[in-house]
Amino acid sequence: MNESEQTGLATMRDCWITGGATFDLAPTAWKTIAGGTSPDEQERRLLAIAAQALDVALRPAAPKTLKRRPPLPRLALPMLPERLRPLLRVALKHADARRKTRVVTLVASRGFVLHPMDWMPSDQNSPDVYAPWIDWQASLDGERHAPQEKLTAENWDEFYPAARRIVLANMRRTEPALARMLIEAKASGEPAEVRLALIELMRFGLSAEDAPFFKSLSADRSGNVRELAGRLLARLGEHGRSNDGGPDDPAAELAAFISEGKSGFIRRRTTYTPAKLKSPAQEKRRAELFETCNLVDLAARFGITEPEFIGSWQFGADNNADILIARMVAASGSDAAVTHMADALVADGGKPALVVLHLTPRLDSRRKRALVRLILKQTNYLNAINLAEGIDAGWLEWDDLSNGSALAALCSAVAGNDDAMRRGADDILEMIGFLATATTAAKLIDKVVAAGMPPAAPSLSVLRLNAALAEHQSRTDT
Amino acid sequence: MEFDLKTIEALAPDQASLSAASKLTKRSNWPRLEKNEQQALIWGECQGSGSNPYRVVVDTGDHGYKCTCPSRKFPCKHTLALMWIAATAPASLAAAESSPEWVNDWLGRRRKTTPPAAQPIAGAAAKSIDEAARTDESAAVEDVAAVERREAAQRKRAEDTRQAVSAALDELDQWIADQLRLGLSGFVDGSSDRCRRIAARLVDMKATALAGRIDEIPSRLMALRGEEKPDAAIRELGKLVLLAKAWRAAPDDPELKRLVSTSETREQVLANPDAKQVESFWEVLGEKIESRRDGLVSHSTWLLDLKSATPQFAVLLDYFPASAGRRSNAFAPGDRFDARLVFYPSRKPLRALVAERMGEVMSGAWPDFSLSATKDPLATHASYQDAAPWITDCPLLLPPGAILVDDRGTGWWQGADDPQGIALPIAGAVNQTLLGVDLAATAALWDGARLDLLAAQSGFGRLDLS
Repeated sequence: MNESEQTGLATMRDCWITGGATFDLAPTAWKTIAGGTSPDEQERRLLAIAAQALDVALRPAAPKTLKRRPPLPRLALPMLPERLRPLLRVALKHADARRKTRVVTLVASRGFVLHPMDWMPSDQNSPDVYAPWIDWQASLDGERHAPQEKLTAENWDEFYPAARRIVLANMRRTEPALARMLIEAKASGEPAEVRLALIELMRFGLSAEDAPFFKSLSADRSGNVRELAGRLLARLGEHGRSNDGGPDDPAAELAAFISEGKSGFIRRRTTYTPAKLKSPAQEKRRAELFETCNLVDLAARFGITEPEFIGSWQFGADNNADILIARMVAASGSDAAVTHMADALVADGGKPALVVLHLTPRLDSRRKRALVRLILKQTNYLNAINLAEGIDAGWLEWDDLSNGSALAALCSAVAGNDDAMRRGADDILEMIGFLATATTAAKLIDKVVAAGMPPAAPSLSVLRLNAALAEHQSRTDT
Repeated sequence: MEFDLKTIEALAPDQASLSAASKLTKRSNWPRLEKNEQQALIWGECQGSGSNPYRVVVDTGDHGYKCTCPSRKFPCKHTLALMWIAATAPASLAAAESSPEWVNDWLGRRRKTTPPAAQPIAGAAAKSIDEAARTDESAAVEDVAAVERREAAQRKRAEDTRQAVSAALDELDQWIADQLRLGLSGFVDGSSDRCRRIAARLVDMKATALAGRIDEIPSRLMALRGEEKPDAAIRELGKLVLLAKAWRAAPDDPELKRLVSTSETREQVLANPDAKQVESFWEVLGEKIESRRDGLVSHSTWLLDLKSATPQFAVLLDYFPASAGRRSNAFAPGDRFDARLVFYPSRKPLRALVAERMGEVMSGAWPDFSLSATKDPLATHASYQDAAPWITDCPLLLPPGAILVDDRGTGWWQGADDPQGIALPIAGAVNQTLLGVDLAATAALWDGARLDLLAAQSGFGRLDLS
């Protein structure tokens, strides 16, 4: 299309928009084709020519504002093989964010990452290997690149937030003092939300040397930061606030909700039992106090140490109070108090052991596994396994399942007609799909299918993916 | 397999279903017939009247079933035919170690409700499988005079239709002239009512296909920005003018007849010796499912010829009533199969039927079509428009490029290095992940204003974008 045709087309278009005859405005060559007929037919012919010209001769021009995003970075692990992607998509299909993270963690534990069109990480709970993608999503300018050199105060801003978080977490494990000094130097210049996330990293490699820094945060402008610093300080056995014992002291108020007693005929020992509450208002207040107080302050109210207090607490007397104290221990208890509570409750078993689920963020891998094994053994509380968080993927052996009666309970739920039981079994199978070794996963599929579960039931999807991941590994190994 | 003819007879909703099923029991109707005895499942793909085969699965344990056909009879004739084959010729069903994904999908969905075993329909007695199986011998042999009478009636009907369509196109011409006189600005604003009215007139005058196309103009305009709508209106109406003129010049042209009045039947296309046939490996690029104003849902499955030296496409197009509900897809994007396709005759053959399916093909990268970033990305579109200017959606295989965004958040495809300053705006929202992926090749549909992405090849492998 030449220039005069382009000009003619533009004029004709303007005329047609408002309405009217365009024959006189048309380029000469077009007039020759369209002319010699009725005015209506001339207009239709011109319309046909214009339509064809618009379709064939014009090309959409790129707007000047077009922006190109930086390339999506390659991750450190290989992508899940194409063959396994349909299985993965089934496993992700109806999963909520928590379950998706489990699936992704399982895949990462077997040495693969997901295809970016199947899943993109949306939060910090994803395995560390996805940090470059988290940062890629967060980057707007595309200017910064994750540097390879060590993180220092000077190159702090050159790191993307997720990459910086991972570097700092690792540094806290290997050089905790250096990491603390970096956080101390840079955190104050960050917004409250980022500051909180940075100080949260201090939980790695926590030591008494960190106490002065936490104390300095008592004047921080963010309430959340002050509270977190207080809890971290409490984990170190330091009292976060002054215990004047007055009416405004929350530890004293909380202590009033706890009855001190004695038990044993020969060796009298002190016991602590939650006091009977008289109203929902009291229950609410007690929950608030457990949330705000630190374990060290509460134990001090009774003049004993944290492990002594935990050892004397009468678990099983009030389930709500047990949960509240478990949360308090997880948030502010010392490492000794946490392990003491977990070991004692897991050794005793029974329902009170389930409160250890609230401690899982603070437990080491061995204790978490012991808890899962206990839950599997106590078939009465099998569903509680779904509450377990932060547990490693792919370690549960067939013996762990078959030694207790968990397997029999699962098979009977699958074979039965009780819909609620079957739904419960579905959830447990999904969780075991995450925890199990590939061999266990394959065996469990056979077992529940033999018990009557349809082979392609969605609740088997994580187990199938788990088993298939190992098959793939063994194929590539040979 | 636990089927006997008595069970099938009992399950059938009526005698007509049984009779129809009987005709479908021929092995040639079923490109795929498989079973898994462990799972008590039989499944198959039945080539029905649509361009996509219907997928049927039956649980032989509890007689549960699922078919992708739009029939409102339960079980449909395809399901009954599959049961019938299982009962009478179980050897036709090949043993499969595992069930395909679509079967698994169905199994997964029915797990939650666990319906009771399918029961015979109450009151649907008086059906006989013997009667259904009996060949129709009652049809009397027509005498010559009757044949002549019938053919004469057909010719008369065809002539009447042609005259009615011709009158319809006269009316359409007048309507287009009126729109130009009144102004396209008003047309754009009132396109919904105006198009509905002329479409209804065209239906009355037997220009049904054209009416359906005009009914879709408002929704195509709605998808564009305000400043683009007048140009789009010119394109839409101009194409109608060209189509009407072409039909007047050759009213018996099968392509034009299909676009203006009615389409040939599947059988007519398959029997047409002039219809283009291509036996090749095909990859399913993607699917487009659109609800139309006339109450139909159009379901198009776009295919890429993997053996051709240049990018060649085919589309399997089916229509079914929206009231039939959501249909399961016959093919999944990325599926590959070996098949012989028969194309509906046209200047640029795209619409096709699967005449014969030979089996599945291993997945992999697309062939190297030597796509050049320096060439005009819309050259294929221009050649389609030169041959058949009434085409609305043109399939393209774009050279290496990437997706970019403008300040309004609209996605644009642009060729690597962009030698000509061309960028093609993308229809709908763009997956943000795509913005960071270099695309080695992109399959898409171009409608003159928007690019509808189907699939792409990239460093991350095949990307399903439909």
